[in-house]
Amino acid sequence: MTSSSGFSAQTLSVLAALCDEPSQWQHGYALAKQTGLKSGTLYPILIRLADRGLVEACWQDEPQPGRPRRHLYRLTAAGLASATAALARAARPKATKAARTPAVRGAVVGVVP
Amino acid sequence: MNRLNQAAAAARHAAAWLLPAGRRDWVTAIWAEAHEVPPGLARLAWRAGGAWVIAREALMPRRLGRAALFAAAAAAAAWAAWPQPGVGHAAVSRFHVVATVLLLAGLPLLARRFFGPATASRAGRFLRVFSCAAILALLPAFAIVEAFANLTPAQPAYRYVFCTAQGWSNVQGCSAVLGKSTGGPPWVGEIPLLLMTIAYLGVILFLTSRRSQVTRGTLAVGAGTGLLFGVVMYAVAPLGLTNGATDPWLPGSNADPLVALAWVLLFGGPAAAAALAAWRGRGPGGARLSRSVRIGQGIAAGVLANGTAALFTTAFGTGTVALMLKSPWLLHVLNHGHYLTAIAAYRYEANAGAGANVYLFMLIWFPVIGLFMSALAAACTTPGRPAPRELTPVPATPGNQ
Repeated sequence: MTSSSGFSAQTLSVLAALCDEPSQWQHGYALAKQTGLKSGTLYPILIRLADRGLVEACWQDEPQPGRPRRHLYRLTAAGLASATAALARAARPKATKAARTPAVRGAVVGVVP
Repeated sequence: MNRLNQAAAAARHAAAWLLPAGRRDWVTAIWAEAHEVPPGLARLAWRAGGAWVIAREALMPRRLGRAALFAAAAAAAAWAAWPQPGVGHAAVSRFHVVATVLLLAGLPLLARRFFGPATASRAGRFLRVFSCAAILALLPAFAIVEAFANLTPAQPAYRYVFCTAQGWSNVQGCSAVLGKSTGGPPWVGEIPLLLMTIAYLGVILFLTSRRSQVTRGTLAVGAGTGLLFGVVMYAVAPLGLTNGATDPWLPGSNADPLVALAWVLLFGGPAAAAALAAWRGRGPGGARLSRSVRIGQGIAAGVLANGTAALFTTAFGTGTVALMLKSPWLLHVLNHGHYLTAIAAYRYEANAGAGANVYLFMLIWFPVIGLFMSALAAACTTPGRPAPRELTPVPATPGNQ
């Protein structure tokens, strides 16, 4: 189910979570907590966004002792522009529809003037 | 629990192997992130999500449908090609069937790992499906033709015809025992046949993969030229290249227009395809490709053209011979309805059965000719970038000062 922004509600929630601090690298588990998505839903979204060049991913330089290295994500410049536009578009026609998840609502409040 | 974790990790490693290289990092990422999830059900659910991602990426529903279709086609081909009990060459034939099906199932998985996923092109998909279907269709066709071609007729009067068709000119030396198989294909012959299958599949899988960077246009030009040449070649040699078999179908003269066209396409087809592919060579966004890349595109188009033609002719030709051996009505049609005596009909059948081996030579030599002609044509028709002209200072004149 895609919204008028061209992204599904779940994708919009991921974009919104990544928009919170666009310059910061974020972990998958943190994104899952923020968006309320399960790993089986979150990662295919991240994969698709990375394939489209909207999200960049890298491996943690210095892992915590005894823990494997973690994968980090953040929006690319194109991703930030696309996410901002999509969230604004999603907020415009039906504010309630776009604001289904807390992350989207927060981002819309922060992004849309 | 520790063993369970180890088993889960081993299963994850094995499953991730099915994924293309670009996706394996993501699976590792999900598993690494599981350490941050509170232990217990939440972590289990996280890992289950990871398993779902692997299943989704490696075995999408469309792929499952394709795999089921392939399994059904492979099972049908293997069933039709499986040798009957009592056939002299049963062990070799069984090995051929099993090895070919395993190659068809395994090589695409290996190709996905090493060459990446298939290119998003209709011509590329057609080439993959066509090559797989042609090789599967050849299994029962070869089995029928081999069983017939190696079976000495029971009637003594037919023995001379059989020995001549086999190429045993010294009939006195024809040691075939009436009504018995001469032994069928040898093990030594099986190895080149499998190598050829690997070569055809490998080249087609590579050229239609993303890593090869062969453009959609090149694949379309190669496949189109190959199909055209294949249709002409099949019309020229629907029953092998022996005159004894093709006489009723064609006059068999080298001056026949269709035969002349086949010769032109054998050498000119890959050359034209290479020139066209090299000339059209454009990268993403319409960017002009370098000379070496355009020559590479040309060679790929030429090899694909003659390889596709050889595979098309072999599959349809051997299929026609097999159908003719099983269906007397086809022999009647091929002879334009003329009445044939029993021994004359057997002569055509024996010649066609023995002549079907010629298709194997086409499979070997057509792509080689395609490679040579396309390399020549691509190199000749792709001009190098002109050397940059040195800028000469414009002499100062009163006018431009």
